[in-house]
Amino acid sequence: MPAETAKHFEALEANAQTLLSVFTRAGYEAVSPAIIQPAGVFLDVVGETLRARTYVFTDPDGDELCMRPDLTVPTCRLHIERHSPANVTAKYSYNGPAFRFQPQGSDLAHTREFRQTGIEAFGEANRERAEVEIVATIVAGIEAAGLSSYTLRFGDLGLLRAILRAAEMPSHWRQRLMHLFWHPAAFKAELRRLTLEPGSAYAQIPKALREALDPNDPAAAEAAVANYLERNGIEAVGLRSTAEIAENLLGRVEDARSEPLSEKTAQLIASYLAIVSPARASARRIRELATLMGVNIESAVGAHEWRLELLARAGIDLERAEFSAEFGRALEYYTGFVFEVINPGLGRKSPVAGGGRYDHLLKAVGAEQDVPAVGAAVHTDRLLAAVNNGNGGSANV
Amino acid sequence: MSDKMILGVPSKGRLMEQTAEAFAAAGLTLRKTGNERGYRGEVVGYPDIDVAFISASEIAWYLKTGRVHVGVTGEDLVSEQMSDAASRVTFLKKLGFGRADVVVAVPDCWIDVRTMAELAEIALPFRRAHGRWYRVATKYLNITRRFFAAKGLTDYRIVESLGATEGTPAAGTAELIVDITTTGTTLAANGLRVLDDGVVLRSEANLISSNAADWSPANREIMAEITARMTAAR
Repeated sequence: MPAETAKHFEALEANAQTLLSVFTRAGYEAVSPAIIQPAGVFLDVVGETLRARTYVFTDPDGDELCMRPDLTVPTCRLHIERHSPANVTAKYSYNGPAFRFQPQGSDLAHTREFRQTGIEAFGEANRERAEVEIVATIVAGIEAAGLSSYTLRFGDLGLLRAILRAAEMPSHWRQRLMHLFWHPAAFKAELRRLTLEPGSAYAQIPKALREALDPNDPAAAEAAVANYLERNGIEAVGLRSTAEIAENLLGRVEDARSEPLSEKTAQLIASYLAIVSPARASARRIRELATLMGVNIESAVGAHEWRLELLARAGIDLERAEFSAEFGRALEYYTGFVFEVINPGLGRKSPVAGGGRYDHLLKAVGAEQDVPAVGAAVHTDRLLAAVNNGNGGSANV
Repeated sequence: MSDKMILGVPSKGRLMEQTAEAFAAAGLTLRKTGNERGYRGEVVGYPDIDVAFISASEIAWYLKTGRVHVGVTGEDLVSEQMSDAASRVTFLKKLGFGRADVVVAVPDCWIDVRTMAELAEIALPFRRAHGRWYRVATKYLNITRRFFAAKGLTDYRIVESLGATEGTPAAGTAELIVDITTTGTTLAANGLRVLDDGVVLRSEANLISSNAADWSPANREIMAEITARMTAAR
């Protein structure tokens, strides 16, 4: 349905203009990043899965380009072009088409060409205040556009990070689990492996080599790997060095020497991820779990609680809001707070708006260092559909 | 276009010869009509079949779009070009030639990587050391993406490779490959090894019908007869 008729296009445009006027009045400068973008940036940041949904093509110069699959990355690139170093505060708004292949075929809520109208705030050091301002501005926009029936969904990766940091385990397990957050099945499997048999991979290392691996002597381990390859007539192929191979093997030696992750800790991590609760009650639920685990994650829970308080002060109705610990697992570039606006008529699979914190994205697309960043976009076609549908149902969580 | 049933047959190489042999074993003679270098043909004794000699990968495409009714091509090519092969085509008969496996192969010197799970495990350390995800060279973009996703592996980059894929890790243009192999000798010669659970697809040539083609009752009958003859032959 992407603007198939002039009438529909005008309705969408009017809707987007309502949003934009709310955004610009709130101080978000309107920008128009290019529709055609270098493909590599997107693929590096969002990974190969999105490539299957991105319209990628090669131009006559042989450069790999794409139709932008969202406007966040293009806005980051625009910011970096304007500011060097990029670590300065700036607020942007945008309105325009984004493009994604829909493997199940296009339908009303999932069109291959859709319009995003959104905002991004870069460089703001006061994290919770920046996050709340984004939510409040988006909510003000969609209400101005006529949406009254919606619920909110919150998540926060900072809480999981705090739990993993506080739980007793070797630091590389922590890193691995954090990375696996975006791969739920693998996360579960790894948690189980660390509890039952963290040293299982160690036994697979050839015996002759195993004995020469000492975590306190990486140089000797590297020599042992090189020696093993030579003795077995295995050619060193490719860019991955023997030092990297040795480092990975040493990690397994350490795994085998470590106490397994306690059953209790693993269970509590899993229970944390299972939390789905009304937003107001969520801080208490998380604190209860922390007490059971015997860990102190007060600074992360405090930040979460403070954010809710600021949201309430900004006029957000928290009775409409739910906290879900799992939420945020779909898109790998989010690093902290995440939120979604859901219309009951369209359902959870088709959020009307969504966004969150992505502190590593600017560096990933070319900034010299990490820059605090938070933003959100309205799926304008869905917003219009929900409003035209008489808001489609009640707004109770 | 005629009302005849169109049969797509590989236009060159071993695959063309073996297809002709498979039909011959069922007592069916494939013959080019007109010029020996032409691309049209017939099945002797079946005036209602038009034979089109086309490349194996095009046959998969033609089956998908319904431009041929029945075709002979590899499962790998069908699987690459259709994410929903089961709904678009019907596999009528495995033909027992053109056997090849699509596999995930890594440098043999990666003695710490024997499984897909271990491959996933080194994604993050590799990125830390090299500033990017590892690259997978392949011509099977879709098959690779589907297989890796099913294994929970998303942190990699595909590099499209249309030839000499096995050489890309040594050349430094990719870290690992997804490619077709028949005996494994080429992989070994390039210092590569198939992961323990890295067989993506066991492929062979198949007789396949298109669900998208325009099927008249007469053409259905011809297809059923050809399939029955091919099945009885082995």
